[in-house]
Amino acid sequence: MSVGAAPRPRAGAVVVASWRRALNEVLRVRGALLPATIAPVIFMLGMTGQFSRLTDLEGFPTDSYLAWIVPLSCLQGAGFAGAATGSNLARDIEQGLFDRLLVAPVPRAVLLLGPILGAVTRCLVPATAVLAVGLLLGAEFTGGVLGVLALYGASIGFCAAAALWGIFLALTFRTQQAGPLMQQGVFLAVFLSTAYTPEALLRGWLAGAARYNPVTHVLELSRQATVSGLEPSLANTLPGVAALVGLILVLGGLALFGLWRIGR
Amino acid sequence: MSLAPGSPPAVEAHALVREYKGGIRAVDGLDLQVAAGEIYGFLGPNGAGKTTVVRILTTLLRPTSGDALVGGRSVVRDGDAVRRLIGVALQEAAIDPLMTGRELLRMQGALHGLRSKQARERGQNLLERVGLTEAGDRRVGGYSGGMRRRLDLALALVHRPQVLFLDEPTTGLDPTSRAALWREVRALNDEGTTVFLTTQYLEEAEQLADRVGIIARGRLVVEGSPTALKAQVGPPTIHVELADAEGAQRARSALRGLGALEPAGAGGDIHVQLRTTAGKAAIAPVIRALDEHGVQVESVEVQMPSLDDVFMAVTGATLEGASSNDGSPSSGDHVGEAVPASRAPEATTAR
Repeated sequence: MSVGAAPRPRAGAVVVASWRRALNEVLRVRGALLPATIAPVIFMLGMTGQFSRLTDLEGFPTDSYLAWIVPLSCLQGAGFAGAATGSNLARDIEQGLFDRLLVAPVPRAVLLLGPILGAVTRCLVPATAVLAVGLLLGAEFTGGVLGVLALYGASIGFCAAAALWGIFLALTFRTQQAGPLMQQGVFLAVFLSTAYTPEALLRGWLAGAARYNPVTHVLELSRQATVSGLEPSLANTLPGVAALVGLILVLGGLALFGLWRIGR
Repeated sequence: MSLAPGSPPAVEAHALVREYKGGIRAVDGLDLQVAAGEIYGFLGPNGAGKTTVVRILTTLLRPTSGDALVGGRSVVRDGDAVRRLIGVALQEAAIDPLMTGRELLRMQGALHGLRSKQARERGQNLLERVGLTEAGDRRVGGYSGGMRRRLDLALALVHRPQVLFLDEPTTGLDPTSRAALWREVRALNDEGTTVFLTTQYLEEAEQLADRVGIIARGRLVVEGSPTALKAQVGPPTIHVELADAEGAQRARSALRGLGALEPAGAGGDIHVQLRTTAGKAAIAPVIRALDEHGVQVESVEVQMPSLDDVFMAVTGATLEGASSNDGSPSSGDHVGEAVPASRAPEATTAR
């Protein structure tokens, strides 16, 4: 056996390899996908059942609370799928698996892309389940194909942002015990937005928080699919896209900072 | 294995320091040099700083000060180049239990720049090499500890590294698996791979290492070939256990002239110790002399100096006592205390 310097790895091959590994979390663990899929569907059903009369309030932009809540459930499912990336990374760090990746001659940021892509792939399952159940229960896709694309785009972007948030926490705390913090971050970001009612019906500090919360714009982007007052348009799309880009840049920067601190 | 004239060292460390929060110095001004093609055994008790040194040398941890070169490349300034030269099997064989051995080898190939076909072929070769061909398509979660270690070694070899770092590779393994891993390490070394091996097991260092460095409290306290280090400690000791204490005086008289008698230890009336360069060859004359003086003997042992004695001689504590081969992993990154001498060294026994 001859010995020498190994060739330079190709980033694409590394991303694909780690993406496939990330998918094992759901493909090879029996039932792993069920909670992540069922939870947002149940949430959607529960919220619709409890708050369907909210649409009677003046200023509510749609007469179907189901149509209002379907995009939120998609985003929640996507957010939790993304945050789970952080828990998986924390587990890898605790068990020493991440060290194996770090001693490979790969730019370290590339090591994060596969798990993020894995999360994005996983998030499509609950989003599709929510949409399917919503459709069965009578939600209308008022935005047509473009609206559905906007909803999937928002879910994917939000999932990526949540994954970066989880990764930052995993690299900071390096323990799975940070898992609840990852999930709570997502929950809080969604809760402090126009998740349940439009901004016009919010009062006090909650209205202020929702106004400046970028997740509000991501929700508006996703609601182009089902909320009749929000037709697909550039004006309704750009703020959401900008919010997602901003979230990804900020949280991506934090994740890279966490990566940079590893071993220092 | 000696360093070929003119060839650069495979591993060098210069005034390496790693300080943790609270000013704890896990590595405290370490200097070392490992020749290309050598098996270097890095010994020390739990918490001595072994794992910290390995993590620095493998670019997983930055030193607080000082530098280290692997294959002539700085771990601080040129980590990427270092990572292309090294293979690493860290403690506890961290392997994804959801993947099969073959999949892991393929992924490792991608991480180290092998094309898909190359990675497949290399993976197959390595599975054969480490005796995991049949288990290659099974998930690693179902592997035994020995199988996981062998796969871990195979993963570290995917890209044919120049320098292989093995951090306590046989901790927790049964004797058969341990012997198999030793054979593989020797074979790799014969093929030209430099091996940097940390271990708590004295026997492992003695069996494998061309040279041994002993670290205590973050400092390299002694270095050399196992034979040379043990020779520094002194000649072997013959321990005679008497049937009764009454013969002690006669035994000491009988053995005078066969070597240097050690002072009688506390409560050691039935024990007489003799240091002699003759080693095992002195057993027959010792027994004859005792017999001629009418001394009843229970047993006679020859104790060869061990690496633990070397450690004891330079630190005043025992390495063996701190690593009782219980399979527990090293605590790694913490500065610890060496354990006071309390156990007898390894012995060759004649009864």
